[in-house]
Amino acid sequence: MKQNKDHSEEGTAHISSFRDHWSTLVTLLLLTIVTVVISVFGANLAALSVATALLIATVKVIVVAYYFMHLKYEKKIYTWLILLVVVLFAAFTILTALEYYNR
Amino acid sequence: MTAVSTHLNFFQTKKGIFSWIFSVDHKRIALLYFYSLITFFLVGVTLGLLMRYELLNPGKDLVEAKTYNQIFTMHGVIMIFLFIIPSIPAVFGNFFLPIMLGTDDVSFPRLNLLSWWIYVIGALMALSTLLFGDGPADTGWTFYAPYSVKTGTNVTMSVLAAFVIGFSSILTGLNFIVTIHRLRTPGMTFLKMPLFAWSLYATSWIQLLATPIIGITLLMIVAERVLGVGLFDPSIGGDPILYQHLFWIYSHPAVYIMALPAFGVISEMLPTFSQRTIFGYKAIAFSSLAIAFVGYFIWGHHMFTSGMSGTARFVFSMLTFLVAIPTAIKVFNWVATLYKGSINVQPPLLYTLAFIFQFMIGGFTGLVLGALATDIHLHDTYFVVGHFHYVMFGGTGFAFFGALHYWYPKIWGKMYNIKVANVAFVIFFIGFNMLYFPMLIAGLMGMPRRYYDYLPEFHLPNMISTYGSWVLAVGLILMLSNLVAGLLKKNQNVGRNPWNGITLEWQTLSPPPLENFDRMPEIPLNGPYDFEHKPEIKD
Repeated sequence: MKQNKDHSEEGTAHISSFRDHWSTLVTLLLLTIVTVVISVFGANLAALSVATALLIATVKVIVVAYYFMHLKYEKKIYTWLILLVVVLFAAFTILTALEYYNR
Repeated sequence: MTAVSTHLNFFQTKKGIFSWIFSVDHKRIALLYFYSLITFFLVGVTLGLLMRYELLNPGKDLVEAKTYNQIFTMHGVIMIFLFIIPSIPAVFGNFFLPIMLGTDDVSFPRLNLLSWWIYVIGALMALSTLLFGDGPADTGWTFYAPYSVKTGTNVTMSVLAAFVIGFSSILTGLNFIVTIHRLRTPGMTFLKMPLFAWSLYATSWIQLLATPIIGITLLMIVAERVLGVGLFDPSIGGDPILYQHLFWIYSHPAVYIMALPAFGVISEMLPTFSQRTIFGYKAIAFSSLAIAFVGYFIWGHHMFTSGMSGTARFVFSMLTFLVAIPTAIKVFNWVATLYKGSINVQPPLLYTLAFIFQFMIGGFTGLVLGALATDIHLHDTYFVVGHFHYVMFGGTGFAFFGALHYWYPKIWGKMYNIKVANVAFVIFFIGFNMLYFPMLIAGLMGMPRRYYDYLPEFHLPNMISTYGSWVLAVGLILMLSNLVAGLLKKNQNVGRNPWNGITLEWQTLSPPPLENFDRMPEIPLNGPYDFEHKPEIKD
């Protein structure tokens, strides 16, 4: 029985504007260019080069999740769930690193 | 909710093999899983019996050492990846989650069917290792590097099989999470969901978030074997302890993929057979989430003797004890539910009580192993084998068979012979404890695991254990024969609610119609176990 079509309290319908999509795409392309420029043209960041690449990638992830994946228009619980994943990933990394560097 | 057009049950709507293997009906998919799982379970049991026969006496009884290694690896891979991980979610979760939520299917029915097909393909890949090359892997189900990188047996195909099966698990978890968020019937808030749904929700998050880690790790084994990239093999610059980290980051939470659905089943059966509200609904519901969460941080207790750092061993040991808290909360609440209940002793309740008893033994021996000092003594002994089987078989396995007896009349609309079921339970229970309790003793005596031979001083516990395996097999055969005999009965009418249950599945027909309900299900006023305001259910 199709009783749940109107089960809408979990989120609201939203249609993103054309402009939002293009702005997101342009932002992602710019950030990709920045990543390439830093790595290829050798901005002398030494130990920070990996951290910089990760930082740019993180910004891109947020932009994709926020606009392309509509997180911006969803209930806050979904943002919290994604943050939970980040916390878990951080925990895996930190605990493993804790073990490795204390051997 | 609109009225449905037919009272035909889901068995009657379509006929023929293709109407099953390409069905997107969650109930049919659940049964596809059930028949597949039981097949693999029986293969796993046969391998287990062979192992026990080999260990009846010191020295060679039946097979060579290498064959024994391959048998216990196949036993582990089949039982873990093909039976116990998918067991309760894939069968009873698929069948009953939508019904308990008052909806007609899961959110993504086609994805659900794909999950089963992926499972079957992965299973066939695992079994294919029997047929070519040096035979199945001989590494143990953990595929520990560097041995798994070097052995000539079919490790590559085995890990690829586990990789493929992992996708089935991920997709099922995803499907359940979305179903629970999006398809609850109007009026069913999260805190009015049955506890089985809560347990599946917690489980699904682990399936979704942890399984990709093992997937990538297993591919790294393949990369190491095929390309020699030097990830885990120290002779080419790898770190074998890194493998253990990556493996257990998934495989410890996976223990809760196996155990949490069992907790959910137990939380359903206890109120029904006590005829009273479950004690501590919120505590049980939230402790499932707590177990799922804490379970992510304690994988290191599998590695205390691996050579990892002392600091990490201390931290992981301490964290391990945290997970005992939400688990104990559940057990106390279950026992309190029985107190002053109108207890109706039926086969599902017997399995429930056995679950609590055996799971407690499994849990307490787990604490012994989680404690750093004692684990150093007991690691890689039969104590671990006994502990693990008490948790997984004495816990989840018994919950699975309890659930089978509980929901059997709802799924098939028939009833098995109760007396035979009781007798089978008693034999099964005695056999189980005869089989696994001596392993705890042998482990304390110092008998190492994973050897096809042992010193003469370990003979007595091994002998009792092997005799126990035969008793267990008799109980299992009797139980399954009784269930099959029940299916062959004709013209039975068990009614909608033979156990006097209260959750929504007991309001519909047995077996349920294609779209699950023939009339609007009524949600109990004060939560899912409100026996005082139980909706009247008429046949």
